[in-house]
This record gives sequence, C-alpha cells and structure tokens, in this order.
Amino acid sequence: MSITRFRHCAGYISINIINTLYISMSGWYTVAKWEFLRSGMKFSRRAVFAILFTLLLLAAVSYAVSFTGMNLDQKIYSVFSASPQLNSIIEGDERFYVLNDDGHDPDITIVEDRAYLSGTKKSVAAADALEKVFIDHRETVLSSYNDINNSHPVWVTIHDLDRPESFQVLGGATQQAGQVSDAENENADVAGDYNGNPAAAKRTSQIVSPEELEDLDNSGSKTLFERQTIATPSNFTPPIPFTAILYSFLFIFPIYFVSQFYSSSIMEERTNRRCELLLMAPLRSRDIVLGKSIPYVLVAMVLLSVISLYIERPSDIHELRTSLAMIGVIFPVLLLFFSLSFIAAIFSRSFKELTFSMVFFSVIVSGYVFFPAMFANVHAVSSISPMTLMVNLIEEGNISFGKYVFSTLPFYLVALSIYGFGTAIFREEDLFSQKTITEKAIDCMELFLAVPLGSVFTLSIVSIPFVYMAQLMLIVMLFNLPLPYSIIVMIILAALVEEIAKSIGIYTIMKRGLKSVNLKTAGMLALLSGGGFFFGEKLVSVITLAPIASSAFGSVMTMGTLLLIPLLLHVTTTMITSLGVYFTGPRYYVFFLVVATGVHTIYNTYLLRGLLFG
Amino acid sequence: MDKNKVCPGKILSIARREYNGLLLEKTFVLSLLVQLFIASFSAFLVVGLTSFYDPMALQGMQMKESKIGVIGDGEGELFKLMKISDLEPVKYADFGEAYNDFYDREIDAIIHIPNETAEGNNLIDLDIYLPRSELKATIVSLQLKKPLEKFEQSVRSIRTARLDGYTPLNIQIMRWDKGTSSSKLEFIYVALLPLLVFTPAFISGGLVIDMITEEFERKTLDLLLASPVSLLDVVGGKTLVATAISPVQSLAWMLLLGLNGIGINNFTQILLIVAIVSLILVVVGSIIAALCRERGTAQLFYSLVLILLFMSSYLYTNSPLNLVSRLALDSIGYVEAFTWIAGYMCLAVLLLWMLTSIVEKEHMKI
Repeated sequence: MSITRFRHCAGYISINIINTLYISMSGWYTVAKWEFLRSGMKFSRRAVFAILFTLLLLAAVSYAVSFTGMNLDQKIYSVFSASPQLNSIIEGDERFYVLNDDGHDPDITIVEDRAYLSGTKKSVAAADALEKVFIDHRETVLSSYNDINNSHPVWVTIHDLDRPESFQVLGGATQQAGQVSDAENENADVAGDYNGNPAAAKRTSQIVSPEELEDLDNSGSKTLFERQTIATPSNFTPPIPFTAILYSFLFIFPIYFVSQFYSSSIMEERTNRRCELLLMAPLRSRDIVLGKSIPYVLVAMVLLSVISLYIERPSDIHELRTSLAMIGVIFPVLLLFFSLSFIAAIFSRSFKELTFSMVFFSVIVSGYVFFPAMFANVHAVSSISPMTLMVNLIEEGNISFGKYVFSTLPFYLVALSIYGFGTAIFREEDLFSQKTITEKAIDCMELFLAVPLGSVFTLSIVSIPFVYMAQLMLIVMLFNLPLPYSIIVMIILAALVEEIAKSIGIYTIMKRGLKSVNLKTAGMLALLSGGGFFFGEKLVSVITLAPIASSAFGSVMTMGTLLLIPLLLHVTTTMITSLGVYFTGPRYYVFFLVVATGVHTIYNTYLLRGLLFG
Repeated sequence: MDKNKVCPGKILSIARREYNGLLLEKTFVLSLLVQLFIASFSAFLVVGLTSFYDPMALQGMQMKESKIGVIGDGEGELFKLMKISDLEPVKYADFGEAYNDFYDREIDAIIHIPNETAEGNNLIDLDIYLPRSELKATIVSLQLKKPLEKFEQSVRSIRTARLDGYTPLNIQIMRWDKGTSSSKLEFIYVALLPLLVFTPAFISGGLVIDMITEEFERKTLDLLLASPVSLLDVVGGKTLVATAISPVQSLAWMLLLGLNGIGINNFTQILLIVAIVSLILVVVGSIIAALCRERGTAQLFYSLVLILLFMSSYLYTNSPLNLVSRLALDSIGYVEAFTWIAGYMCLAVLLLWMLTSIVEKEHMKI
C-alpha cells in the first residue's frame, strides 16, 4: 500500500522536475507528508488495540500507585515489641514489620519504654526511621486536637530575602584557604553543592493567620514544585532537592520516545532498501532528510508545548512568554537528541547496535543536561546546561539572552554539524552497505574535505563545538572521582579529544589518498589543522568560556591566555601525528595519537602544576 | 524431518551465532558503558542525598557554624538552644541593622523571635529570613531544624498538659553512635541495588526484540528457515543468549558494590531472582517481537509493558525489586523468600509455554 502511495508521490514529483526551486521547496514537504501519513498507518489494528489496552492498564496501575507512598522499601526493618498498640503504630510505616516470636533476630527490640538496637548498620538506620515514625505519630495525635494554641504552639514563617548573588563567594573562600587545602575545599564545595537548588520557590511568602493553617501539616495538597513557607518546626523541611531532575525527566521522556520512532523509521528505510527509490527520485538528500525529520520534530514540539503549559499554567501574557521560553530552551536539546538518533540510525549495522547507541546517547545527553542543572544557583558550572535555564525560568520567569546563547549554542552547532555530516553520507553506498562505523565516519570527513571551503583548517574549526561538548561531558562523568584524580584524568582525556579532532582530517587524507602527500605537505597540513583549531579555540574562549573559567575544570579547558605557546603546542602535537602517519602509514595512527596526547598532557600538566601539586 | 520439534543442538548453534554477533558489533561494550554511567551517576546521588538529609554525617566535610541574626527576644529558650547547636546567633536591635549585615554577607539568615512565653496562651510566630536562591539557605534551614524542634518540644511539654487525655508516646531509643541515617541505607539498598541488578535484564528484553525483528525485517528469516531449523529454534536460541548474559552482568555489579563496602546478603538467591526476571522479560520481549515483527512497534510495546511491570511492583510487598532489597538486607525469612521465588519461577515457565505455542502458531503462518 505504501509503495503505491510512494509511486504516486514520485510521479507527482517528476512532473515538476522543470522547476528546481519549486522542487526543493516542495520536495521535503512531500517526503514529510508521506512520512506523516505512513507512520500514522504503520500500526496494525491489532497493535493499536494492544497498545491502547496497555496504556489503559498503565493508567489504572499508576492511579493505584498514586495512593501508595511510591516506595519499594516495604518490610525492610524488623521490630519486636510486646505492646500491640505500639505494634500497630510501627506497622503504620510500611518499612517495618513486626516479629511475633524471637525466631529471627529483630533489628530493634522494644522492652517497656526502651528500644534496643541489634547493633548492625541496618539497625542504626532502623532506629533513625523509628524515631521519625514516633515523631509522625506524635504529630498525628496532636493534630486531632482542636486546640492549635496548645497542640502546635510554635510556627515558623519563611521569607526569601534578596542579596547580591555572587559565585565568587565559594571560589573566594577556596582561594583564601590557601593552595594546600584547595582540594579539600573543592570537595567540600562539591559535596555541599549537591544539596540541590535551595529555592524552588516561585511563591513569595504570604501572611496568613495561623488559624487558617490547621490542616497545613498534611502538606499533601501542596504541589510538588512549591515550597512551603509556613510550618511548625516538626514539619519544617528544607527545600526539595533535585527538582531540576524532575523537570528534565518530564521534558526528556517525550523526546526520547519520539526519537526512538524517528531512528526506527530511518533505520527501516535502510533495512528495506525502500530509501533506494527515494534516492532515485529527483530529490536532494537534504530534502529527504528534512522531510523525514520534520514530522517527528513537530510531534515532539507539540508534546513539549503541552508539558510546558502544564508546568507553567499561564494565566497572563507574561507567563505565556515564560512557557514559550521553556520551549525555546528545550528545543536545542531536542535537536541534539534527534541529530544523534539520526546519525546512530545511519551508522549502525543492526537494530541491536541502534538500540544500544540510542540508549548510550540518551544516557550521556541526559546526564549532560541535568547533572549540572542540580547546581542551579549554586555553582557556575551549572550554566553549561540548558536545564539550568529551565530551573531559572520556573523560579524567576525570565532568563538573559546571554545565558541562553552560552548554554545552547554548543547544542545548536553540534546538532547542525551532525545533520550536515549525516546528510552528506545519506547516499546509497553508505546507507546500504555493511561499512564499519569508523569507515562511515571517515566518509563524512572525506566528503567534508571535498566541499569548496572544506580543508583541514575549517574541519578543525568545525570540530570545536564537538570538542567543547565532549570535554564538558567528561566533566560531568568525572565529577565524582576524588578531586586530584578527576583533574588528572580530565587533562589526559581532554588532550586526547583535542588531538583526535585535529588529526582526523589529516588521517583521512592519508588513508584515502585524497592528495599526494610529501613531507612538505604533511607539515603544511599539520600547520593548517593545528592553526585552525587554535583559531577556533580562541574564538570560543573569548565568546563563551568566561563564565566558568574561574572553576578548576574551566581552567583545564581555557588554559593558556598566552597566545604563541598554545599555537605552537597545537601545531607541534598535530605535527607528531601527521609526520608519524606519513612515515609509517595510517595503520600506526593510534600510536602517534597517543604520543601526541602524551605531549599535550605534559604541557597541560605543566600549566596546571599549581592546581595539582600546590 | 519434524520441524516443530525443539532441538537443543540447533538452539545452541543459533545462540552461538547471536553471541558472536554481539561480540563482533561491540554493542555489548556500549551497554556496559551505559551501566557504568548509571552506576557513577548513582554514586553521585548517594553523596547528594546523604549530604542533603544529613550534612554532618559526611566525612571530611566540616560544616561551618552559620551566623544568624536574632531580633526580638534574645534571652529566651530558643536563643540558648541555637547557641548550643551548630549556629552562631548574633543579637540585633532591629531588622534594618540585621539586614545591613545580611546584605554584606556577615550573617546568612535573620530570625525574629516574638516575646511570647511557653506558659502563655498565644501562638509563637517565628519569622525566618533566608537568602533567596542560595545554597546557604538550605544549610541554615538544616541547622535551624534541630533547635527549632527542641524549642517546640519544650513549649509543648508545658502546653500539651492542657490538652485532654494526651499522653506523649515516650520511648527512648538506645543508640550508641549516630551512624548511617536511614535515608542513605534505604537509598543504597532500595533504589540503587535493585536498579543496578535489574538494568541488564531490562536491556536484555530490548535486545531480544532487536534480534528477532531484525530477522523478520531483513527477510533473513526465510533463509534461516530454509535450513533445517524451525522458528522455535531461532527464537529459542536468541532467548537463551539474551537471558544468559544478564545475570553475569548483575553478578559483576554486585561484586563491584561489595568492593565499595556495601555488604550484600543472600548472593545466590538474588542472582536466582535476577535470572528469573531476565527470563520473564526476555520471553515477554520474544512474544512481543514474534507477534509484532516490526521493531518500532515492538520496542514501544515492550517499553510500555516494562513501565507497567515497574509500576505494579510498587503495589505489593515482595515484588522482585522489593525482594532483592529485603534479601540483600537479610530482612526476609527463607520460607517466605523461596515461596516468592518459586512463584516467579512458575510465571516464567508459564510465559515460556506461551512463547512456544505462539511461535509454533506463527511458524505456520510463514
């Protein structure tokens, strides 16, 4: 059925072959329309029925789950006590189970008015939990009295006060403490930073008379994202941590699901070789790629809009603008997700590979997106993630344009470059062959070097956003190594990433024999590539890196405000790889890459010696 | 030759073929990387949660005493309580003066204590001013909570006597050290451990879908079936590989956790549960794949079923996730544990039987 539909489309297109402009306009539109209709009818009636049934079941189960505490910690602590009244209080908490006889050693044994611990780690935790159970019980009993002045005599009202924000305060303290304790302080900073964003409050404190607050202890009515402002000391809880994760998950789930379908659809074109027909039609591959992507982008955007409206619930123009800004913030993330799914679908040789690479990319990107966001308002590193902007939007309702550009520009650049590379190899020999992933990647490079402006110089510049994002992802992944090690590993891996970026073009030229290379041209290539990278790097550090340059990780990346030496370094290390490969052949590329990385690492370590060795 | 008969030799050769494919594509490495990432992320969460609920418990992290401005009653009970806790209260005459120092970061919070006594009849309304959007706000709230609670209790000890028939529950918990808080232990054993040991099983279910739908979509199945193997052999072989690789990974995770000083009890029972659950998920995946024959739909359906199963495990005690937690903490009797394990085993066998009959029916259609 779809084939006939396709023939119809193809015929329609070929009629219009005269007007190329018209085709380029309508080409992607036709593909998009077709994609849209096809995926709508892809499900058989039986599948639709089964999926609807599962969704219904899921809704029912979720409804039932919403009445439970959403915990999987049932019956993990055991208690023995002789008092039935006490037993029923304790069993009110699902974490506890009461032992009737002494057959199994209980974690806690209650004799009269004393609770004894068995002494294990678990029993200490159980005691902690038991204390909370007793406090909760006390509060419940007291709440049943209708005499608030005597049952809940103390009330706390929280007000938020503004004072000048300064990230330097954390950093400043670190510097004053001197170099030796630098590492410790940094650790303390980090550990402290994990507390999440302190103010999830959008609501300013209100004055409510305590009489109206009798039912405030049951804070269940509060929405998750609002912070309590009035409470009794026992109910006084610090702000919810990790709200940023919740937001991110809410936004990332739909993106993940839609991108699954997107990558599946592209992969299918390859497995069925159906795309062959498309490629034979007078369509540019750009049109096919656009046409195949746009429907999915639209669907995802609709879902995201619904979510942002749900979170913000706009009542006036200003809040509607905040909702729109949220979509603006999430859009680059969506684009990156989609570009990665696209390239994964083109690169992978089998469904398994596609699934794994999709999971891999989603985990990495989600990590990149929401890990730094946990430090929103706390640490300057948080500004690299668009999700931090999301937190700011939800709290304050606006963000500055500069911050937007800083955290989203790399997303846009990387996504667009990936689409560029992907579209370039969207051709028969790459789509329908069993080429290895490295070969396809080299194909990308080769095609890039063949375009009018393509050279190792521009390739190095284009690689900058990739290097930048890769290094930021490294920060994310290395964050929980103990400090001196994380910096050392960071230095080595950062150098490796840069060396790969600089030498990949040269490797492609030599491997594929794109140019006749002699000693002089090998040197020239290294000069161009290293120079291009240096140029791009300086450009980036001038534009964007300033905000996080003050942190230790930042200084790994921006190193060297001196101009000549870094240039020399980039050219030298590239020269090592370039000449090495020239003399020994592409097979030894990895070896020389490692050597170049080593040299680069030594240089970086020298620059950072103060930080590392005090 | 009877093609519908299950032949272990053929299943094994299919399994070997799939296993080699996995190794060849190195997809396995990616999956391990993903799990490593999740693990390192969870390690971060452990630190985060601990520092949040129990900042003092973190080793090597000395929380400085926060300076807090006090206006109003600077002589009363609460002031004394704050003094002996982690706070450093400073008296101010009025709010303006305190705010000046707050603005200059001399103090991190301001508290207003009204002149009410515990013996009085009025509510005691405390106003606390915290720096907006700052980490300090969280730290100060944490440090304030203890003295505030003590203050509430001391006021209550006088006032609750006026309530009719109220007797406080008075049980003294005899603990000798303030060690692990319950949130940390619960996070490790209730969230982290089950997540880590079951992630390979979740992945295996998706993997088997890819393996089976690929044969359908690439039309390689016809070639396979032309040789003397049945569809049941093919599906069986794939199911076998996908199931077998998951407990191995779980074992690695448990050993890693053990190296990190997280003691896990009942090792073998946990592995048994993991194996059974992977078998259940993989068989469910195979059934879905055999029926859908198309990757997109099958994967969507599988993830829905997975979420459904995950959600329903919240509903009852001794769900596989809960069972693993309880076993690891040694909080369950042998009889109870084995009854449930046997129950899940029966479910797995039932599903396996379903898979066999469905695949045989599907084979007829080809």
